[in-house]
Amino acid sequence: MEKFTIRVNPGSCTGCLLCQLACSEHYTGSFNPSAARVQVDVSGIDCSIRFTEECNGCGVCVDYCFYEALRKEAVG
Amino acid sequence: MTMGGFAGKVLYVDLTQGKIRQEPLDPVIAQKFIGGLGLTIKLAYDRITPGSYALYPENPIVLGAGPLVGTSLPATSRVYAVTKLPASGTVGWCGGGGGNFGCQLKNAGYDQVVIEGRADRPVFLKIIDDRVEIDDARSLWGSGVEEGCEELWKTVGRPAGVLSIGPAGENLVSFSMAYIDRLSTLGRGGFGAVMGSKNLKGIIVKGNGGIRVADRKGYKDLSETLFQRIRDYPYLKEWQDLGLLKSLPLVPVEVYENIKKRRIACVSCPIGDKDVVEIPDGKLKGLIVCSTSAANLLTPMIYGFQDYREAVRCIAILDELGLDMFEFFGVMGFAKSLCDQGIISKDRIETEIRLDSLSSLETWAKKISLREGLGGVLADGFKGILKEFGEEVKRYAPPVVKGLIPYVGPKAPLAWSLFGTMELGQVLDPRGPHVGASGSPTYFAKRPLDVFPRHLDRMGVPQEAIERILLGLGTEKQQLKVGRLLKYSHSWFSILGSLGICARAQINRFYNASLCAELYEAVTGIETDLEGLRERVERVWTLLRMANVREGFTRKDDALPEKWFEEPGFQDYLTGKPAIRQDLEQMIEDYYDEWGWDPKTGIPTEEVLKKLGLT
Repeated sequence: MEKFTIRVNPGSCTGCLLCQLACSEHYTGSFNPSAARVQVDVSGIDCSIRFTEECNGCGVCVDYCFYEALRKEAVG
Repeated sequence: MTMGGFAGKVLYVDLTQGKIRQEPLDPVIAQKFIGGLGLTIKLAYDRITPGSYALYPENPIVLGAGPLVGTSLPATSRVYAVTKLPASGTVGWCGGGGGNFGCQLKNAGYDQVVIEGRADRPVFLKIIDDRVEIDDARSLWGSGVEEGCEELWKTVGRPAGVLSIGPAGENLVSFSMAYIDRLSTLGRGGFGAVMGSKNLKGIIVKGNGGIRVADRKGYKDLSETLFQRIRDYPYLKEWQDLGLLKSLPLVPVEVYENIKKRRIACVSCPIGDKDVVEIPDGKLKGLIVCSTSAANLLTPMIYGFQDYREAVRCIAILDELGLDMFEFFGVMGFAKSLCDQGIISKDRIETEIRLDSLSSLETWAKKISLREGLGGVLADGFKGILKEFGEEVKRYAPPVVKGLIPYVGPKAPLAWSLFGTMELGQVLDPRGPHVGASGSPTYFAKRPLDVFPRHLDRMGVPQEAIERILLGLGTEKQQLKVGRLLKYSHSWFSILGSLGICARAQINRFYNASLCAELYEAVTGIETDLEGLRERVERVWTLLRMANVREGFTRKDDALPEKWFEEPGFQDYLTGKPAIRQDLEQMIEDYYDEWGWDPKTGIPTEEVLKKLGLT
């Protein structure tokens, strides 16, 4: 998929944070969920997912999501 | 020396003096004991005062998370605690799906935490990176597990990992547990009471430091292969959807789908197995419960509950109080038998004991947790009941091993009659009956022996040992040596636990011992091969044995309960013939022998201790 946008489905998120682990390692060389450009909030009954301003939509988080909470959707 | 994977520090907390200090992790010790479970056993061995009582201030709690915890490797969030446990008096491991706790602890900079002493008031430990405080918890004392956890989260904001207890732990109930992030249970054997004895309501941790791996390229290659293997697994979706209910169908799938709100995963787990459920109808409509597994929530159905909604509510109550469900039902069943026999007089029973009644069990769970009336006797478990009513009432008790009920057996809650490693492990696990450390291919009934070698190889069993475990394979006289196999169940568990990988079958199936050695090397930078890993786990489990030998526990304490030999008893895994005492005693000797421990006493030989550098 050459161009895509990231679609979010918080309803299927389990809060595993694989997305944050993958993102933080990719950009900082260190597994550090607090430094990730995607942030999952698990404090409610349902999860919520947001992206920080630094996120460039590279999709590394999507590649590590096993629950289809993050998906790539082709553009164009 | 800088190692990858490890956070690099050990946190020491003295609750009596109110003192906190940090020390660098000793890299030589870390290498010798792998990390996680192994290192936690080592630190506990060094800190425990032999002969001390589990609930005395000097009994240390040692917590640890392995070098893979905090990385993205699948299901690497396990947290372990090692301490002397009140139910058995033995030094035991307690393990839990680490939720957020392990990852946050590592990010805060700590591989291990050692907690000693006793605070003069209820406290909680607050860890935010380098800032560590012992804070007042008087306002939290008495709160349930979920309520207490939510309050702790409010003190630092989420995300943060919490390890905490409920009223049962506060009141030193011998079958109280601690909970991670209010849903992962940790501590069959009374770990909750050990925390309670220290006036320690909980620990909250938040970290921002990050975990680096030593060989990024090696890590990436290995982890991508591993993740692809999981993606290709044909039953992935089914396990994700059903969790333990896939192998333990306590209710029809439609019922589960009707109450399932969402699934929860520990950090880095692609097959999350924890649940949020909501009761959709009936008197309990709207009840939302978080649990370590929906299968647990439905366990009361085994004891006769007819309405699954009430079963969910029952376990929610036990979890909120912080009680071990299997032990609670076992103790209540024993107490009921004594009531039926007139041994417990009617004037001591304000509420009739009924194992199939929510209202009865709710009343008794609270009485036990608050030690009210007869509840104060039951709170001390089987030992407490025998002390109160005399040893002669033992004949009405279920089978008991090391003060706890073996929950797998022909007449046990998890009814199962074939005698494999998980069944024998209930006797040989140092903390008593628990099946978590004793998995093997015998987990599946009547699995053909010819597939065993492949599984044993995956678990890291050397070829020459496979030949001792499987005799005459493929012939009419083939034999399976369960005792010898159990050594390698415990070894495999020790590898997983020391690295920080979840031991649940649905996850550990994707790992093998050689891969674990490669991952350890890539993450830590410590040169390791399979043989090196094997030697380290021999050291780990043998030291745990020595921690108990030092307390006076030997072969006599690895005792098979007499009731296992009453009808209907266990059956030989291979032949289906009745498992007789002589055969099971031989398995125990085989187990010791396979470790290089004295077969008659269960004490590690000098030769083995010398070889492992434990003298």
